[in-house]
Amino acid sequence: MLVNKSFYSLTGKLILTIGTLMIAGSMLFWLFLFKHQEKELLATSVKYGYSFVDYIRNSTRYGMLTVQGTLIQQTVEAVGIAEGILNVRIFNSRGEVAYSSDKKHVGTLLDKNSPLCLRCHTASGPTKDTPSWKITKGDKYRILNIVQPIYNEPSCYNASCHAHPRGQRVLGLVEADLSLELLDHGIKQQGIAITVYVLAFSIVISGVLCIIIWNFVSTPLSILAHGMRKVAAGDLDFKVNINRRDEIGELANTFNAMSDDLRKAKNERIEWSNTLEKKVEEKTEAIHRAQQQLIHSEKLASLGRMAAGVAHEINSPLTGIVTFGHLLRKKFPEGTEDREDIEVIIDQANRCSTIIKGLLGFARATTADKAQTNINDVLNSTLNIVKNKADFFNIQLSANLDPSLSMVKADAPQLQQVFLNMIVNAADACEGKGSITIATSNLNDSGQDYVQIEFKDTGYGIKDEDLEKIFEPFFTTKPVGKGTGLGLAVSHGIILEHGGTITISTIIGEGTSFFIRLPALKETA
Amino acid sequence: MSKGKILVIDDEDIVRLSCSRSLVPEGYELKMAKNGPEGLKMLEEETFDLVLTDLKMPNMDGIEVLGTIKEKWPKTDVVIVTGYQTVETAVKAIKLGAFDYIEKPFTPDSLIATVANVFRIRNG
Repeated sequence: MLVNKSFYSLTGKLILTIGTLMIAGSMLFWLFLFKHQEKELLATSVKYGYSFVDYIRNSTRYGMLTVQGTLIQQTVEAVGIAEGILNVRIFNSRGEVAYSSDKKHVGTLLDKNSPLCLRCHTASGPTKDTPSWKITKGDKYRILNIVQPIYNEPSCYNASCHAHPRGQRVLGLVEADLSLELLDHGIKQQGIAITVYVLAFSIVISGVLCIIIWNFVSTPLSILAHGMRKVAAGDLDFKVNINRRDEIGELANTFNAMSDDLRKAKNERIEWSNTLEKKVEEKTEAIHRAQQQLIHSEKLASLGRMAAGVAHEINSPLTGIVTFGHLLRKKFPEGTEDREDIEVIIDQANRCSTIIKGLLGFARATTADKAQTNINDVLNSTLNIVKNKADFFNIQLSANLDPSLSMVKADAPQLQQVFLNMIVNAADACEGKGSITIATSNLNDSGQDYVQIEFKDTGYGIKDEDLEKIFEPFFTTKPVGKGTGLGLAVSHGIILEHGGTITISTIIGEGTSFFIRLPALKETA
Repeated sequence: MSKGKILVIDDEDIVRLSCSRSLVPEGYELKMAKNGPEGLKMLEEETFDLVLTDLKMPNMDGIEVLGTIKEKWPKTDVVIVTGYQTVETAVKAIKLGAFDYIEKPFTPDSLIATVANVFRIRNG
């Protein structure tokens, strides 16, 4: 994927820059070296050129001193044949070609303004009589032109021919054209070789740089970029795997730490929102429960007030019925049908009286005279009351009382009424046979100490639909005349007034447990 | 000569009637008042040995009647009749000087026994 954008990538830019710099630098370096070498080679060529011209001068010296023109001409011609020698000419002081490797040039007079003359002579001014050289361009190669003056010396002006006067300083000059073909060829070859070396060197260096940058910069960067895309897309578990100690490694570590932090933050947020939801649910449930309880308590309280009112209103007429029933009864002898009828009236009036007493008990459950109480003692005295009752003869009554039970603040007679209700209900559930187990224990729920009393029977159990209404006044499953439906309502009221709770655990066919919990006092029994 | 003079204070006709039908045959002289003020007015006019007063009545309740009687006529005994017995009111009534209390609905026998007990101790 990185190759596709190679030109715009960091690697591409780096390679381009470094490659260009490399090539330019090498070029400059090699150019300088090349020029320097060319100069050196040329200097050598010039040196050899002078030496060659000296050689011609010396070779023709004898001929000149002895004035043997033919010998000189032959010598010049012989020298001129050698390889790389293009032309050899000897000029006299008048500028006329005296001898030449090419016979055709002999006798040619050079114009005073010709480039050869102007190298030493100016049109008007002084004359330079130093040797000189010049390079000119030929058709295929360059030509080195060497000019060396022939100075007047004693052997010349003292010679018997008297051809040259003593005052003349320069008698003529030797000129040679030498081919620089070999030199040019060598330089050209070297130039090609250097160019190839520079290119190869640049390519190799660029390649190595490319590999280094690729491995140390591009690959890790692309891994990082991939990681960032992953994280941006939400994959916060993604880890960038670059184990290095350089800046890239540090960047990778920082990136991993960042995605770690992001993941933690995200998890925290999720957890927070989850627990928030749960907490809201719990609170809603708690509020709902509290509301239900409040409604229930309010219902029971208003029922209690109503019951008290009803009890009070009914007691007076009931007094009349009872009184006149009794008065009437006395008027009929025992055994007569009328007497039996009156007995029924009195019995039913008494039943009404019992119901009303129950109602008043229910109404009265809202006030209690509390003192420090040992629940075990209250239970023992309650058990003593029921033990001798005929209803319990066939029921196995057992008590499992915790001797270290905490004390509670309670109205003992009211609690006894509750326990009595519980035991009587359990016995009714057992239908005269089975077992009732009473157990007490200390308990801690949510940091609050409680005393728990369990009444467990082996009766039929309680149906779901009955469970909802079990604490309501006048709700009973017992046969008409047997129960008023007030026992549990009264018990519930009393336990609530004591800051406690009654809960039920029941299994159809196996039995029921009533659990009463009362807040414990700090001191133990 | 009657066994004693009794004033019954109760707002309910049937209770007053029950009392008279139970106690008159036993030889007590009974007078009736429909409420506290009426009963106190009768007490101003004549002397009673015993007052049977209801606890809950309009205008003036039994505890008030009891207090007034014990203040003005300490020799007259008071038995509270109540259909709404609680420990607190019973204790309060006894503290204020009530002789006894009787719960509604009562039978003729229990009423006669309670009243007889009062007179036995008075005369004792």
